[in-house]
Amino acid sequence: MRLFRNFTILSTILTYILIFIGGMVRVAGAGMGCPDWPKCFGRWIPPTSLEQLPDHIDPAKFNIVLAWIEYGNRLFGALVGLSIAITLYLGLKHCSHLPRIKWPMVAAFFLTLFEGWLGSVLVKTVLNPFTITLHLFFALIIVMLLVFVAQETYYISNIDAEKNSHYPPKMKFLFALMAISLLTEVVLGTEIRGGLEMIRKDNPIVESQFLLDMLGPFKYAHTILGILITILSVLIWFSLVKSSINPSQLMVQSSTLIIALILIQIVTGEMLVFLKFMPIIQLFHLWIASWILGLISVQYVAWQRSVIING
Amino acid sequence: MAKIFSYALATIILLGIGASWIIDKAKNSHDIPHLKSVPDFSMINQEGESFSQDNLQGKITILDFMFTSCMGPCPLMTTNMSKLHKVFLNEPEVQFVSITVDPEVDNQKKLKEYSNLVGGNDGRWHFLWSDIDSIKNLKRNGFMLFADNLPEGHAIKFVLIDHEGTIRKYYDGTDNSSQEILKRDVAQLVKGLRT
Repeated sequence: MRLFRNFTILSTILTYILIFIGGMVRVAGAGMGCPDWPKCFGRWIPPTSLEQLPDHIDPAKFNIVLAWIEYGNRLFGALVGLSIAITLYLGLKHCSHLPRIKWPMVAAFFLTLFEGWLGSVLVKTVLNPFTITLHLFFALIIVMLLVFVAQETYYISNIDAEKNSHYPPKMKFLFALMAISLLTEVVLGTEIRGGLEMIRKDNPIVESQFLLDMLGPFKYAHTILGILITILSVLIWFSLVKSSINPSQLMVQSSTLIIALILIQIVTGEMLVFLKFMPIIQLFHLWIASWILGLISVQYVAWQRSVIING
Repeated sequence: MAKIFSYALATIILLGIGASWIIDKAKNSHDIPHLKSVPDFSMINQEGESFSQDNLQGKITILDFMFTSCMGPCPLMTTNMSKLHKVFLNEPEVQFVSITVDPEVDNQKKLKEYSNLVGGNDGRWHFLWSDIDSIKNLKRNGFMLFADNLPEGHAIKFVLIDHEGTIRKYYDGTDNSSQEILKRDVAQLVKGLRT
């Protein structure tokens, strides 16, 4: 049981790191580093020199740095898949009587398999932008499911958690609205990026500022939804921290952290515009968004637990 | 809790530094090699004007070998070349050269018709003609491509040539992901030329 608990945490952390690595592959432009899947240039270990390249592959495609970046992503992806598979096995062994743990874990596992398959589609379609967004979207869903499972598992051995806390009862709608807004915001954000790339594909020489002007509507939508999310997060903070009786430490910390992270997102978002889409900021802008989604999950599970045990 | 927080922060900073390093490495990995100079040659384009190695100077050139009646990989190569021609329509530095490997059939009139057909009649896409021996020689010794069994046995490579007439890189002219790499390399050379 203890092993299962540790594995839920391990899988969550590894998945977060995988989201980071995936984002890095994207901003480094290494997505086609291996032109085939699951092998890389027809080999299980990518070539380290041109001589090792099979004859039927165009040598112009070979870039050793990009190949190893993409290969690292695949290796780590396989590791995460293994970790999630073990977590599922342990979960079914210890908690198959608890539907709140069993089903999210089963869903996370199958979505992970689906993600691997989407990865192969990405390579086949030479990075179709819609598929890239889908690939990220399901990664976010998986990480939210894992956070959910990890927290529920934590509660099994901490039965008193949230016992003395009383939160406003009608919050479900607010949580759903927040999660949907955040996911939409991420998709809009990737559309900005994907849009930039599509325009760049047909006009490889134009400047970023010009590109941004062309993307006007998407950028407005991203900003406006961002403002809405900020308001929502403050509203949720007030409900869960100020209008509650004895809110748990976890609840106060996660709610406050969400506000802090949203402020960081506003700053990094603006920095992107001024610093011409500096890759490392793009990467963190996306990664922090995935943290916020995980924290919403934490809030929701804690709130629900309090509502369930306190009637 | 404070301990976990500082561990997390340290991990995040380390990940950030690592990622910056890797992204930087990826960015600098796009160096395009200098292979060799294109030797002297002299041919005639579809307008009847002469075209030689001097016409490569100051331009970024994408070059291939083809023939108009080819049913093999050429239609796909020409489609890809057409796409590149459209992509770089507003970049006066970029030009396209297609050398026929079937000079018996592809006379100037044929090449002119063909250039109209594929939209290459704006003066930036040159369809070149010469006698078969000069073509073989240029292809084999100038571009290091096989030229034994022309016209059918022509190479499917696109050749990238820089503003000094140096061959920089070869690309599979029939493959989609190779086209994306070619586009990126052309953009890099054009930007280098402008700064």
